[in-house]
Amino acid sequence: MTRAVVIVCATMVAGTSVAAQSKWQVSFGAGGGQEIARSRIGTTRERVSGMVFGGEGTASRGRLIARLRYGQGRVTNDTAGRDVAEGEALLGYKARPWLTVWVGPHARTFVVPGQSDRRWLLWSGRVTARGTLFPGRVTSFVELWQGFTGSLSRPAESVTGGGAEAGLDLRLARRPVWGRLAYRIEQARAGSIGRRETVEAITLTLGFDR
Amino acid sequence: MDPHRVEAHRRMTRALALCAALVAGAASLPPAAAAQAAPAVLVQAVRAYDDLDLDGAAGLLRRALSIQGAGALAPADADRAMMYLAATEVLREHNDSARAVARRLVVANPRFRPDELVFPPQVLTFYEGVRRATPAVTARAPADTAIRPGAEALAVRLYASTVHDVTATFDRDDGRVLRTLYAGPVGDSLDLHWNGQDSTGTAPPNGRYAITVTSLDRQRRAVRILRLPLEVTQGRVDTLPHPAPPADSLLLPERQSMKPALRAFAPAALAGIAIAVLPSVVANGEDASGARFVVGGTVAVAGLVAFFSHHPGRSIPGNAAHNRTLRDAWRREDTEVARRNAERARGMLGIHAGAPVLITPEAP
Repeated sequence: MTRAVVIVCATMVAGTSVAAQSKWQVSFGAGGGQEIARSRIGTTRERVSGMVFGGEGTASRGRLIARLRYGQGRVTNDTAGRDVAEGEALLGYKARPWLTVWVGPHARTFVVPGQSDRRWLLWSGRVTARGTLFPGRVTSFVELWQGFTGSLSRPAESVTGGGAEAGLDLRLARRPVWGRLAYRIEQARAGSIGRRETVEAITLTLGFDR
Repeated sequence: MDPHRVEAHRRMTRALALCAALVAGAASLPPAAAAQAAPAVLVQAVRAYDDLDLDGAAGLLRRALSIQGAGALAPADADRAMMYLAATEVLREHNDSARAVARRLVVANPRFRPDELVFPPQVLTFYEGVRRATPAVTARAPADTAIRPGAEALAVRLYASTVHDVTATFDRDDGRVLRTLYAGPVGDSLDLHWNGQDSTGTAPPNGRYAITVTSLDRQRRAVRILRLPLEVTQGRVDTLPHPAPPADSLLLPERQSMKPALRAFAPAALAGIAIAVLPSVVANGEDASGARFVVGGTVAVAGLVAFFSHHPGRSIPGNAAHNRTLRDAWRREDTEVARRNAERARGMLGIHAGAPVLITPEAP
């Protein structure tokens, strides 16, 4: 949790200095949500759920846009529990006012006490489409991504995966404050041992623009 | 077998094969010669005439004149073709045929004169003789006009082939003469005037009428009759054009369009569908949480609110009032034009003239 707060604060400080220096548009947000993670190895299944909190920052200039996200929390069930940390660093290009394409890494780490961390890392390409419900106030969005290369740290294996996110962005009139309600689902697969991790999350994020 | 019969059978087989080949060859040829348009045939005919291939020119000219329908000659080209045919027949010393063709040309177009630079003097002299011996007229009148009977007149111009006597009458459609307009000689041309009244000084009732021009020979026999059909209508003449109704481009939409509402709803609908469907695409085989429908439902509700916030189909009073003002102004103007037309048309006679018809084109 401490790490999440530190990363979010560092992102905000860096973003603020960037915005102050040039025509960059910078935005920050913080939020949390319920996350459900399902693991499957062969016929063995495990389901854990819990709250994950984090933050994000975006910086854009012209058609270029960069996005950082980080989240951290604990997911448990009746018999087990583990910490989870996840993040992404993406570089995007606004091909159309309503369409952005992204590329960058996306990682999730599960920490079980007494064991070494298990980290899933995927390099992905993404597409985000936005539509306006109320101009300048409410937009809906759908984001699809597909990992084109990736790795699992323990056991060391190559992985594939993909995911999607959809939801609603709201902005207050004449105030640089925004909120987002989103649903996210993603799945990573390690082929040879039949391991599969599926993560669903419903998140609520509040943020502001600078 | 008899060797003669074998030989005959062989010859018959060869002849049949040759006929089949000829038929196939003819069928495969382009239909240019048969389906050639009359103007192109006329060009060939003139070239043949210039090359003094008079037989060829005569055949081509007759073919050009016989073509009907879309490929037929225009009236001016038809006159030219007849003149070339008359000249060809004169040069071939087929004088009867030349006279018939020249007379046909005079009757069709009394004003036609051959080009003195193209045709030799003997042809010009021949044509001039036929023209002088063939009294005929044609008439030109405005297609639509309106006159005030007794005060104004319909002008019809007559063109004559040669100086001769004519009688011109205003007739009913069944041929009964209502008034004699002219009786006397006509030279090159003559203007007839009908003042919209019959011989009793009254305007004829609505109906079909005609101006009939009869050409007389020296023995005062009728040799040719031309009828110019007229349709007469009393008091229904629109002299002022009615204003056009307001163009659609000037009218404003009176109801809110569905498009902006649908445009606002569509992104929410797509996002809602994506939330419902994507788990089965991204994580096939997993039981996705039903909690996603909370997000999907929120998006859908937001979409519905956006849809109804545009008030689709609701009337726009300001635009309706604007359109009403335009339409009322147009109606007032239209009524005023109708009133002024009715005022002007009181006592007026509308006349529609048709194409003149020659009733005795083949008279000697």
